[in-house]
Amino acid sequence: MTRRSLERVKLAVVNLFFILLCFAVLIPILYALSVSLNADNSLLSANFSFLPKHFTLRNYRAVFVDEPIMLWLKNSLILAVITLLVSLGTGIPAAYIFSRKRFAGRRLILNALVLLYAFPSLLSMMALYKLLTPMGLINTRLGLIIVYTGTMAVFALWNMKGYFDTIPLEIEEAAKVDGASPVQIVTRIVLPLARPTIAVTAMMILIYVWNEYIFAINFMTGSDTYTLAAGLNSLQATEMSGSWPVFSAASLVVSFPILIIFFALQKNMTTGLTSGGVKG
Amino acid sequence: MNSDTKKKKKRADTLFAYLWSAPSLLLIFLIVIFPILYTGYISVTNMNVYHWNNYEFIGLQNYKDALLVFDNGFLSALFRTILWTAVNMVLQLILAYVLASLLNIKGLRLRNVYRTLLIFPWAMPGYVSILLWKTGMFNSQFGLLNQWLTKAGLEPVKWLGSNFMAFFSCTVVNLWLALPFMITIIDGALQSIDRSFYESAVLEGATWFERTRYITLPMIRPIIAPSVIITVFTTFKQFDVIYLLTQQVGSKTGADIHTILTYAYEKAFITNNYGYSSAISMMIFAMLIVFSWLSKANTKEASI
Repeated sequence: MTRRSLERVKLAVVNLFFILLCFAVLIPILYALSVSLNADNSLLSANFSFLPKHFTLRNYRAVFVDEPIMLWLKNSLILAVITLLVSLGTGIPAAYIFSRKRFAGRRLILNALVLLYAFPSLLSMMALYKLLTPMGLINTRLGLIIVYTGTMAVFALWNMKGYFDTIPLEIEEAAKVDGASPVQIVTRIVLPLARPTIAVTAMMILIYVWNEYIFAINFMTGSDTYTLAAGLNSLQATEMSGSWPVFSAASLVVSFPILIIFFALQKNMTTGLTSGGVKG
Repeated sequence: MNSDTKKKKKRADTLFAYLWSAPSLLLIFLIVIFPILYTGYISVTNMNVYHWNNYEFIGLQNYKDALLVFDNGFLSALFRTILWTAVNMVLQLILAYVLASLLNIKGLRLRNVYRTLLIFPWAMPGYVSILLWKTGMFNSQFGLLNQWLTKAGLEPVKWLGSNFMAFFSCTVVNLWLALPFMITIIDGALQSIDRSFYESAVLEGATWFERTRYITLPMIRPIIAPSVIITVFTTFKQFDVIYLLTQQVGSKTGADIHTILTYAYEKAFITNNYGYSSAISMMIFAMLIVFSWLSKANTKEASI
């Protein structure tokens, strides 16, 4: 056998390996997709195939009609938008100040932020519950917004500060020499340059609120106040086998926007995160 | 400018800085720091479901209970968490390295298609994937794995039932979730290595093993180090995989594979032993502080 054909065999083996691997990796998602589109309730039958034999959208209809998913969607969106506005509104000026100014206490606060970033908010959930109870904020949107905003404030400040650090100071100094006022420098120069990090930070906050379930299921008691994540969680926890096709349809519906955002922002995601202070 | 006005200017600058960052810092203090301090306070009381308001100060009793009474389960959860982190990190690094190397084989035309497909688990919301694994794959009656086993004429397996199988299944799901990130990082690092290093090494007759040992690994190490450290943290703090697969209220699978985070959660929200759970939380926080100091010292050393 020539060297050339040996190479070709090697490539064919690697290709075959990757095709099988990609399929294996996607099996849980493909299976859910197939179950959600399959008309006969043949979950227990032995001749299951990935291509549904009798195609139906009944399960998707059930998701939107029978389950209060639109209500949960509304709750999630309200929480996400308010959390986003508050944490970006407070985070952008703070991140800018911490990147540009040197003042007493700055180091200390930055070091504390690193530690807070490593601290899982799950661990103080109990204390938060105890603190919010007498204020009447359990089982209210405001209570969850408060929790989310705090967690995201740490992330927003730290992540955007890291990006501001990479914008050269010379640009601002040049603008100053040209007679721009501090407000003009920030609104005309810094914010446009910081657009990638603001976009990525905003997306990460949206995804966080969209995916957060543990605070939502503990702080919200009624299914009408649930967020999407908490609602989906309750769908699978209460009625097991009967609702599995509906649950898989709901899972894919809930994942869809996140998939779109992820693949649309994939390039930005890596630069916006790796050039920021916090990665991963 | 004399020193007095300089000082005044500096003070004005500081005031300005704090004024603009005040909203953010205030939020962080009230919502993040204060609850942590409060957790520390609860940890030295006997607060539980019977003593919700009339709790008493009991000193370090909760810490003693956790550290000295082995049957309470904290120490075994801690050992399990360390084992979990070690097993997952080793498997993740080896598998990600092998797959990233294969993706970089010369002449692999479809590599971008493979990359996109392999990244899918990263793009999915984590909790959704975990629940899909739980119901779609592992369910003992209609899960796909048991369907296949039955078809092959084998006995169905309780994937989440025993401690060993549950640990194994959780590891599989965690790898499924975490590998895309690690592959991406190592893939990027591999591409940053100059091809000419390999060409001259091949000319000098270096074997594949020698090239890996003396060129590839030392060159990608500093690049992937920060991401690896972050992954160690997230693996150590992993809650979703273990909680959603085995510990959910009302659908516990019978396996006891608590990590310290699911343990702290159970003590707070299931058995309602708030004081004890807060003590666990404070100890986890202390461990995370020590780790971040250690990793900071290590990365500094590596980068010099």
